[in-house]
Amino acid sequence: MWTLKLALHYLFPKGRMGTFFTWISIIGIALGVMVLTVVLSIMNGFDKTIHNKLIQINGQIKILSSSIIEDCTQWMHTLKNFEGVAHVTPFVQGIALVQHGDYVQFPRCLGVDEKTVQSVLPLRSFVCSGDIADLNQGVFVTKGLAQTLNINVKDTLDIYSPLSLEAIKRDEVLLPKELPVVGIFETEWAEIDKNTLLCSLKILQDLYGLNNGIHGFSLRVKPGTSIQQLCLKLNAHLPKPLRAYSWMELDTDFLYILKLEKAMSFFVLLFVILVACFSISSGLMSSVVRKTREIALLRIWGAQRWQITALFCWQAAFLSSLGILLGFIGGMSVLHYRNGIICFLTGLIFPENFLWNFYSFSKLPAAYAWQDFALIGGLTVIIALLAAIIPALKASFSLVARSLRSE
Amino acid sequence: MLLSADKLTKFFVSSKTERFCLWHDVNFELFEGESMAICGESGSGKSTLLFALGGLESVDSGTICFCNQMISHHLNPHIPGISYIFQHYYLIEELNVLENLLLPVRVMGEKVDTGVMNRAHHLLLELGLEKFSYQLPRTLSGGERQRVAIGRAFMMNPRLILADEPTGSLDEQTSLRVSQMFFSICQKFTTSFILVTHNENFARQTNKYCRLEQGELKRCK
Repeated sequence: MWTLKLALHYLFPKGRMGTFFTWISIIGIALGVMVLTVVLSIMNGFDKTIHNKLIQINGQIKILSSSIIEDCTQWMHTLKNFEGVAHVTPFVQGIALVQHGDYVQFPRCLGVDEKTVQSVLPLRSFVCSGDIADLNQGVFVTKGLAQTLNINVKDTLDIYSPLSLEAIKRDEVLLPKELPVVGIFETEWAEIDKNTLLCSLKILQDLYGLNNGIHGFSLRVKPGTSIQQLCLKLNAHLPKPLRAYSWMELDTDFLYILKLEKAMSFFVLLFVILVACFSISSGLMSSVVRKTREIALLRIWGAQRWQITALFCWQAAFLSSLGILLGFIGGMSVLHYRNGIICFLTGLIFPENFLWNFYSFSKLPAAYAWQDFALIGGLTVIIALLAAIIPALKASFSLVARSLRSE
Repeated sequence: MLLSADKLTKFFVSSKTERFCLWHDVNFELFEGESMAICGESGSGKSTLLFALGGLESVDSGTICFCNQMISHHLNPHIPGISYIFQHYYLIEELNVLENLLLPVRVMGEKVDTGVMNRAHHLLLELGLEKFSYQLPRTLSGGERQRVAIGRAFMMNPRLILADEPTGSLDEQTSLRVSQMFFSICQKFTTSFILVTHNENFARQTNKYCRLEQGELKRCK
């Protein structure tokens, strides 16, 4: 393995902490790897947070119907006994007009069964004030809606049913339902938090004139059960128009965009590594020109062409490996202090709630995925080796006599 | 017979249509332990002839045999038994003196065992370089560097050394000291050598002193 040893000596000559070329190349690779690690880990963090939030808000599986589901109790019993299903809760959802004083809004309304909802959706964890047990006595509003309507707990809210429109057509007047606000909640999902009203199943059934009818069920699966597989099984058993949707299917487009964003970030940031590898290539090329006589001597001593190629490829491999290692360390350090760094940077330019207002997250999430690390590391080494090929081949195919006579 | 050249001819192509004879009908024989010097004006083709004898340059006609094997039919930079010494030393700057001596052994795929280490230390002692073993070439003088290059050439137990103006970069006194060291070490190891030089004093100390003039190799001694 003299090629490896000599390659290391070329990069780190005796008595020196490496050449300028060595450190510039390592730093170039390290920066590229660091940026990729930071961006992909934050993307993973966003993915993970968004996935968890989607499950918390929608449940793992939703069963929806294009018509009203009348026999709710019977379906609850059937679904509870279905293999792989842990908990079931019914829901009613829609839009209503709400008024508090001069303030009017059209929030998204969700009616849940207060007895079973906790086993599927962690509503208690979202509550800012009030008790979820009081859901049958009034409504919960999100922080955003409370601010828009200028409302607080114990205030009364007028809720106009969509049935009012039908009543107007019949020259009738349907009076609004007056309900007290019993609590305020926040899911940390901006779309929900801006404009959502939560109430008991009964209240919303009355408001929509559904009697005992519901719009669907939210399901929690037993640990270790595949959500996709269970969805397939449920759909095989459920009669039309009932259909089971996994949380991934409910937000397919959104999740696809997340994946696309991650892939595009990876693609764009890979160019940083490409540029760094070009610097390795040019550095190695100048090294080949500088060491043309030494290379000729190695050939005289019996070095094969592939060994000369290997001598330069080892250098690229070593530079990239060290760059990757430093890049990962740098990336993980940045990720460790990410919130402090973001706070400092946004604090310089933007208002305090900038991140929250635009991205629905007050803190930058991050998650490490070994697949990403392997992909970044593997691709970097491959690109660095490809960058070394041209100088390496030039070195191995240089003419010995011409090199030695060039003086 | 160690090395023989028979009717060697080399043409030099200067353009698409123009080519001229660099040397022709070069004949000589070199036996084990013999030495030979080639003198001549700059551009007379001395180095080209030396490289051709080592298999680094092609010849247009004629044959070269080394240890009864024809080596002139194709270019081969590595011929076991032949070592080189150059005017500009060509030491690996990143390696210390000892490692420079050991590198050819490693490249040849041989194990650096106690025997090899002993040989390296013995050579360093012979060349008066033992105290520089762990120094980098850049810290040495020109003469010391050339002595390292001589030691390196001897590390592979060569039967023939091809030396291309080994004292060309040194001052007169250092040249004398280095060349004496070279001659004595060649004698000690009974290693043959062909010396290309401008220095006629050194050339006369060899067994066969030749001059390359107007494309012909003329024997002077």
